[in-house]
Amino acid sequence: MAALSEWQRRLEETALAPVRRTGLRYWALVAFLLAVIGWGAYAYFIQLRDGLVVTGMRDRISWGLYIATFVFFIGISHAGTLISAILRVSGARWRTPVTRMAEFITVVALVCGASFVIIDMGRPDRLLFVFVYGRWQSPIIWDVLAITTYLTASITYLFVPMIPDLAMFRDRLAGRTSRWRGWLYRVVAIGWQGKPSQRRLLASAIGVLMILIIPIAVSVHTVVSWVFAMTLRVPWNSALFGAFFVAGAIFSGIAILIIVMAILRRVYHLGEYVTEKHFVYLGYLMAAFAAIMIYANISELLTHGYKLEEGVEFHFRQLFLAEFAPLFWFYLLGGLVAPIVIALLPATRNVRGMVVAAILVTFAMWIERFVIVVTGLRVPLMPYEPADYFPTWIEWSLLAAGLALFALLITIFSKVFPIIAVWEVAEEHESMPVVPETVEPAAPEILEPSGGTS
Amino acid sequence: MNLTTRRATRAAIGFLGAWAMAAALAVSAFASHVTPTTTVPDTVTAGEEMSIPVILRAADGAAVAGTTVTFYLHASFAGVTGEAEIGRAVTDDTGLAALTYKPRLAGHHEIRMEYLAPGDDEIQVATTAFEATGDVQLYRTEPSVSVPGLDVGLLMAVVSTVWMILFGVALLLVAIARAGKPGDALSLESRG
Repeated sequence: MAALSEWQRRLEETALAPVRRTGLRYWALVAFLLAVIGWGAYAYFIQLRDGLVVTGMRDRISWGLYIATFVFFIGISHAGTLISAILRVSGARWRTPVTRMAEFITVVALVCGASFVIIDMGRPDRLLFVFVYGRWQSPIIWDVLAITTYLTASITYLFVPMIPDLAMFRDRLAGRTSRWRGWLYRVVAIGWQGKPSQRRLLASAIGVLMILIIPIAVSVHTVVSWVFAMTLRVPWNSALFGAFFVAGAIFSGIAILIIVMAILRRVYHLGEYVTEKHFVYLGYLMAAFAAIMIYANISELLTHGYKLEEGVEFHFRQLFLAEFAPLFWFYLLGGLVAPIVIALLPATRNVRGMVVAAILVTFAMWIERFVIVVTGLRVPLMPYEPADYFPTWIEWSLLAAGLALFALLITIFSKVFPIIAVWEVAEEHESMPVVPETVEPAAPEILEPSGGTS
Repeated sequence: MNLTTRRATRAAIGFLGAWAMAAALAVSAFASHVTPTTTVPDTVTAGEEMSIPVILRAADGAAVAGTTVTFYLHASFAGVTGEAEIGRAVTDDTGLAALTYKPRLAGHHEIRMEYLAPGDDEIQVATTAFEATGDVQLYRTEPSVSVPGLDVGLLMAVVSTVWMILFGVALLLVAIARAGKPGDALSLESRG
């Protein structure tokens, strides 16, 4: 019993450590990310001032880096849905130490993804036109509906299971932290005292949300795929696109979760709770989705290639042999085949191997989005020469700023909110018949000792 | 102002007016040797095809054949106002270029025609206008397959249901907050 209490105390200290102490490296990282975002803001200012002509997009290829990145971010937002909702519904108990990070990723990725749509508009002052002049028959409107609903549900789904941990922060940090933090934790803990009636209500709320969020998440990426599939373009003429996009979204969501897990585990010394088992299990899931993606690609390419309707030959040539061949082959081999090999080989079935696989998948899935968007628009609709698209420094700067914003929001979240679902991990630990594998006790006291306090 | 002064003023205005008219005619004559003539009915029905003819004749009355005329409609739609090209036609041996057009909306239609006559350096412009009557909104096409119940109402029902469930979750959060108010026996479970 004493050992359990000591284990729980250590768990809470690990969760509290990022909030209690902040090192210089943290501020250096924040400054760097802010600098990148600032550079992106400068690029965006130029785009606002001079118009979309400063990008590589023109009348024939009117979607490029921005829309590819939007689809990519919406994709990785499925991390929270998979890990937190699907695994919660299926009763996979190993998920508990990583659910919070997955839910963070979901919310942050949605915010970043939605911002790229506004950037792509060129005239953000016309955003309201979507609602004023929007037509219900348009997939763009469905997209707006789905994403706003998903963002609301995701924020709720992040917040609700966090309430007991926020109450723990409120109680443990009372009088020992800054005034605004004390106020914040008092407000967001919504009076949680851990009473049985509160636990029952919380369980009901989580139960409703975990069921609700799965179809919402599936609908979001399905509708994103329809934005393409319902446009009259030869490479996008596919009824498979919805399922293909959802599978790709979960695939890339797992990959980004593995990367974020590895970083936070190292920075905040979470090795006792986020173990190699979690990486390997997620690696297996990633390999399974890689197999699904390979199947979807074969199905898609074979049916298109067999019929070879007008425009498909040009499309296949640009994918497999010409301009986009290096990117596409990297996607197929590096992003789909390699992760399966890494997950299957015992020598690489470890944290490092899974992180390498996840990085490959993340790059490959961004490339896949880029290739889908650009090659689809590149196939000529009429007998004219195919257009080319090369992103300008403005677009690359805004992409960098978007990624920096993603990293910054995750960084700030990890410093304000509990990054581990303490109460869920504790419940799982208590229910286990034997003590789980122990890597090495966390030592939050030595976390970034070079810095000051927040 | 006496009578002499008034007469002198009238004479001066008349002279200037006549001079201005003569100058305008002369500029017109110098600007182009081709005269356009359009004859469209004043009123047409929206949704019915009509012809917008323009006849180009040289100064000597001869027909100008083989000249491309581009037709533009000044329109305002979805908050955007501007000119949209609605078609092109080439004059035949009689100098006639006719565009078949179906007005999509009721209301005033202003048509601008542009052409570059042989021997001219600058594009010439002619305009005409007509009123389209009726209440047909032809830009809204009917779906070719209409499944009863499968419409915007269904979409709204699904979205509303989702938001109602989310609202239910919000009510549960309120209940959690109310259950934690002082007065009830406190649990120390959350205090570690």
